[in-house]
Amino acid sequence: MLSARTKKILVALLLLISLFSIGQFWINSTNITDRGANALDRWEADMILVKKALPIKRGVIGYVSEQDVPGAKYEYWDTETEFLLTQYALAPLILKKGPAAEWNVAVLNYKDLATWQKTYPDLYEIITIRGKVRIFHRLNNP
Amino acid sequence: MTLLSFIIFLPAIFLGTLIIHLIWPERNALAMFLKFSLGIGLGLGISSILYFLVLQIAPGRINTLTLQIILLIFLLAITFLRARKQNWKEFFLPSLSHLQWALIGIAILALFISALIYANTIISRPQGEYDAWSIWNRAARFIYRDPENWRATLSPDIALFGHADYPLLVPLNVAWGWEALENETLRVPMIQSALFTFSTILAMFSAIALTRTIGQASLASVVLMASPGFILTGTNLTADIPATYFIFASCILMYLFFVRNDAALLVLSGFMAGLAGWSKNEGLLFIAISPIALIIASPKNIGRSLLHYLAGLAIPLIIIFYFKSIAPTNDLINSNISFIAKITDPSRYWMILKTLTPSLFRSDIIILLIYTAIMYKHPAPNSRQGIYAIVTLLLLQLLGYCAIYVVTPYDLAWHLSTSQGRLILQILPLELFLCFSISSDPESVFS
Repeated sequence: MLSARTKKILVALLLLISLFSIGQFWINSTNITDRGANALDRWEADMILVKKALPIKRGVIGYVSEQDVPGAKYEYWDTETEFLLTQYALAPLILKKGPAAEWNVAVLNYKDLATWQKTYPDLYEIITIRGKVRIFHRLNNP
Repeated sequence: MTLLSFIIFLPAIFLGTLIIHLIWPERNALAMFLKFSLGIGLGLGISSILYFLVLQIAPGRINTLTLQIILLIFLLAITFLRARKQNWKEFFLPSLSHLQWALIGIAILALFISALIYANTIISRPQGEYDAWSIWNRAARFIYRDPENWRATLSPDIALFGHADYPLLVPLNVAWGWEALENETLRVPMIQSALFTFSTILAMFSAIALTRTIGQASLASVVLMASPGFILTGTNLTADIPATYFIFASCILMYLFFVRNDAALLVLSGFMAGLAGWSKNEGLLFIAISPIALIIASPKNIGRSLLHYLAGLAIPLIIIFYFKSIAPTNDLINSNISFIAKITDPSRYWMILKTLTPSLFRSDIIILLIYTAIMYKHPAPNSRQGIYAIVTLLLLQLLGYCAIYVVTPYDLAWHLSTSQGRLILQILPLELFLCFSISSDPESVFS
């Protein structure tokens, strides 16, 4: 059996360790560096322009990224994150990967855009929104 | 906007608290604290169900907040009529010793610092973590922006990582909150998440205060706030803390049933279990295992106990069944890979054991386990069955998590690394509750 004094020390120790941890969490919380909030806001701002430019407000639209460009180099999780961010921004429009609909959002740099245009010449009207963001409007139904 | 985002949740909070008070009319001050902490979650659960029903009947045409206020007035009238006949002399605040005042003071200080941590962290990333915007707030936007076409959020065309099949408690509350404010502000998910985070702490305090002592309750609350990841997960704006809260709330009520032998508590416990399943798919596992724990812990009167528990579970379960019937199949189920091949592969079990063990026995948990072992005190005879129930729930929930990992269609290492922390967190308050229910309290140690 432990003495009453040892038990008192244990209670005090548990309390002190816990308070120390909470203090550490607080100090850490005052020094948080960029966690991507601004990047997310910028993405949203671009997509608001896309939303305004699109003539449809519900239904399915396509999403063209480096994944759809032959030979393009990309990081899987980067393109996946951009896709999910675009879906979040454009809700309630449903985003489907690839040029899956008459209206498609495209996120491509100039090099990949040029490759895309070579691969699918004259199939899409390309509306530039801002930076890498464009709308591909299919000109004829396949 | 922050204040308004909080005010819109008040009717739901009072609605939940009044429902608990009407079902469980105990009137001592500590029970009132517990009712309030459980009422917050119950109210949020009921408000999401109400909005879900509105979406089925007249989407975009019935204001959910008005509906809640009408219900609240109705319940207030019933409570007032009933309270007139009751003797409120029993209602008193317990007198506290210097030690208890000191420990409560420390707990309040820890709570204040935790609120600062929450605020600092959430301001640095108002949109929440990856899952918050890709799953939960994405679904809320689908519902709020086009309520008449809300089923688009369940479209099978939603990408795999958009998880269109995930339950809607969290997104529905965000959506009706935006509807009430006519503004798609991120303050609404922030406040909802804060309510679940801090009501879990309040539930820990009030449950231990009611069943043990105020000193022990203060200690348990401080340890919960000090647990790595608990407050920070609240700032993620995902459904993990709501699921944690409902699992914990259901277990507390089941424990109290064993202590007080009041079957009304089991009805509430069942309802809370249902809301766990309505907030996150892991809650469905809890719905499956909780009746088993009830049966194991109460060999006598199994029929009566189960009947009350299932009566409480029925409404949220019907909602979940209906929702699942219109939602796409879950990605864990919708897999072509053979279950048998996975179940018979020993390397999967080894990897799960190897990965989960360090999470299950982190330094803070080891400290707590050593503390509990040293400070162990035989539980009172009337709480033994409750302790058995909690131990069974913990073990079965853990086994359930392991079983899901065994059959996961994803790469096991990836699945473990991305989800184990959240799963361990879902049972953390329950672990703490168990430890502080069977260890000596500061009052007896310092007496």
